[in-house]
Amino acid sequence: MSIARPVVSVFNPDNAQELVGSVAAPGVFNAPIRLDIVQFVHANIAKNTRQAHGVSTEAGMQHSAESWHPGRAVARIPRVGGSGTNRSGQGAFGNQCRKGRMFAPLKTWRRWHRKVNVTQKRHAVASAVAATFQTPLVLARGHRIEQLPELPLVVDDRVEGIEKTKDAVAFLKRFGLYQDVQRVIDSKRTRAGKGKYRYNRFKFRRGPLIVIANDNPNLIRAVRNIPGVEVNNVHRLNLRLLAPGGNLGRLVIWTKSAFQALDGLFGSHRKVALEKSGYHLQRSVLSNADISRIINSNEIQSVLRPVRETAQVVRQKKNPLRNQRFREFLNPHAEVLRKSAQARAQEASKKRDQSIRKRRGLTAQDRTAEKARKKASATWIRNVWKQLDDAAERQDKGTLATQ
Amino acid sequence: MQNDEVVWQIINHGFCSFKIKTTNQNFCRNEYNLTGLCNRSSCPLANSNYATVREEKGKCYLFVKTAERCHTPKLMWEKIELDKNYGKALEQIDQELEHWNKWMVHKAKQRLTKLRQMLIRIRRMKLQDLPELVPVKKKAERRERTREKKAEIAAHIEENIEKELLERLKMGTYTGIYNYNPKSFEKVMNQREIVSENEEEEEESEIEEEDDYEFVYDPNEIEEDEEELSEEENDMEDIKFSRPLPPEAKARKRVNLEIEYEEEDAAPSKQKVRDF
Repeated sequence: MSIARPVVSVFNPDNAQELVGSVAAPGVFNAPIRLDIVQFVHANIAKNTRQAHGVSTEAGMQHSAESWHPGRAVARIPRVGGSGTNRSGQGAFGNQCRKGRMFAPLKTWRRWHRKVNVTQKRHAVASAVAATFQTPLVLARGHRIEQLPELPLVVDDRVEGIEKTKDAVAFLKRFGLYQDVQRVIDSKRTRAGKGKYRYNRFKFRRGPLIVIANDNPNLIRAVRNIPGVEVNNVHRLNLRLLAPGGNLGRLVIWTKSAFQALDGLFGSHRKVALEKSGYHLQRSVLSNADISRIINSNEIQSVLRPVRETAQVVRQKKNPLRNQRFREFLNPHAEVLRKSAQARAQEASKKRDQSIRKRRGLTAQDRTAEKARKKASATWIRNVWKQLDDAAERQDKGTLATQ
Repeated sequence: MQNDEVVWQIINHGFCSFKIKTTNQNFCRNEYNLTGLCNRSSCPLANSNYATVREEKGKCYLFVKTAERCHTPKLMWEKIELDKNYGKALEQIDQELEHWNKWMVHKAKQRLTKLRQMLIRIRRMKLQDLPELVPVKKKAERRERTREKKAEIAAHIEENIEKELLERLKMGTYTGIYNYNPKSFEKVMNQREIVSENEEEEEESEIEEEDDYEFVYDPNEIEEDEEELSEEENDMEDIKFSRPLPPEAKARKRVNLEIEYEEEDAAPSKQKVRDF
């Protein structure tokens, strides 16, 4: 279950080629990436920043309207009292009425916030962090990381000392992160909808997230004005920054101390987390998720029983009593039986003829005479037909000739 | 290290920025994808061992990705230039992907074939000297057309031609004149008369001016007496069109000008007409 933990290089923020050291990957590296948990937790946590809204309690109800009751050939809806104005006699109060209150007026005491179990939240963050270590997931999320020297990108703590935005931009460019920033810059659009004039005018992508261990205001200020770039403290990791929209794989830059702090924060599969009381990393359902590989492995294939032959498909039902070929297929002896039966039948008929002839007293001579007679009559008949045909033909020819 | 299978589950059921969904099929926009489809086997993200063939500036390259390099995105894809010879390139693919799964090798070769065919076509088209298609800009076209029309009108082409011709006439460039368009001739005649009239005004009385003004040569209106014109008619018998001059014309000043009326069959006849 415990996969060998890789070693991650730490870079010098001033020179992308230079390695300052290396750190062992934290236990979170092997945390199971549970998209379902992350999505659930994210959806609920996102509700927590909502501000209550509601419709005025009196909206549409500030009338002394009363129904006119049946008998006046009008609908029974409450109507505005009084006279002297167009408004009098008009329907009021109902959601179907003009100027009426809405159906189920929105109340401020709607349940806006959601409570999520702490352990679930921790699992979600662990999954999100693990996902930031996976290149395919970061790519799938849409970040441009083609020029990144390594993932996870761990940089020496000196980066926290950057004061000027200019220097921060230079740092990003050095590590191939500016491509992602450029993506953010290019994506800036005016928001559709009312958010436009509610202080949320522009919409753009999320760029790299820098995770630091020490709350140094310098870096935060330096990076504040670079579109898309955000900063987070490792001790207060925010799921909404690690997996925006519930989508795993944000591009994250870790400072060395932040990266090292992850071990204490989440522990590993063997160790309990130091900074989260009683928290153990989640165990995956499958230690090896490559099911096809497992199935095709020697260990399993050698122990499987052989594949069962599939049952023969019966096509059309053939009746062996009537279908001779099928009968022979079912019973190879049937052919023999048939032939012998045939032979027997022939024998029997011969014998029968003989016995009949005997009874009638017909001799061999009679038989030959009989045969000759039959033949002669057949010939005679044939002759007659032939003559008729010839005559008909001659007639046809004659008619043709005359024409 | 997470599994390919896990990655695929997340990408397929979750979000993948490269996936394009259509009603029947899913496509993959990733430039390293072998088939262009979104599949478990085609996904360059969900397969740690992956190979593609891509074309850059007319050359085909084999891009190979292995599990060992997937944590260094910059160095992830190994770029191997394929031989120009198609057969050798196929062998190269076989060599480089020797123990890889057959499907991938097969697809790589197919892709190479398609790319090469495409390149051949490109080369052929370049040599063909095809006309370059330029889109028609409706607004510009419309504008140009209206402006052309206006410019044509503004140029007063006919008038300028007339002027030029008259200038030449004055200068005496023309020995003989072919009077083709009667209306133009009339017009010019009128103009000349007005001009000459203005000159005469100073000298002569007003009465004659009136006479001058009355002259409007119109071949359609033949008011003159036949007897008077008989002489002229005789002269012009051979000619197809007869243009008897009104009697007033005779009274005008005689000008030394020969005008040839030329028809297809008839010989040109010369008739003295008034001068300007």
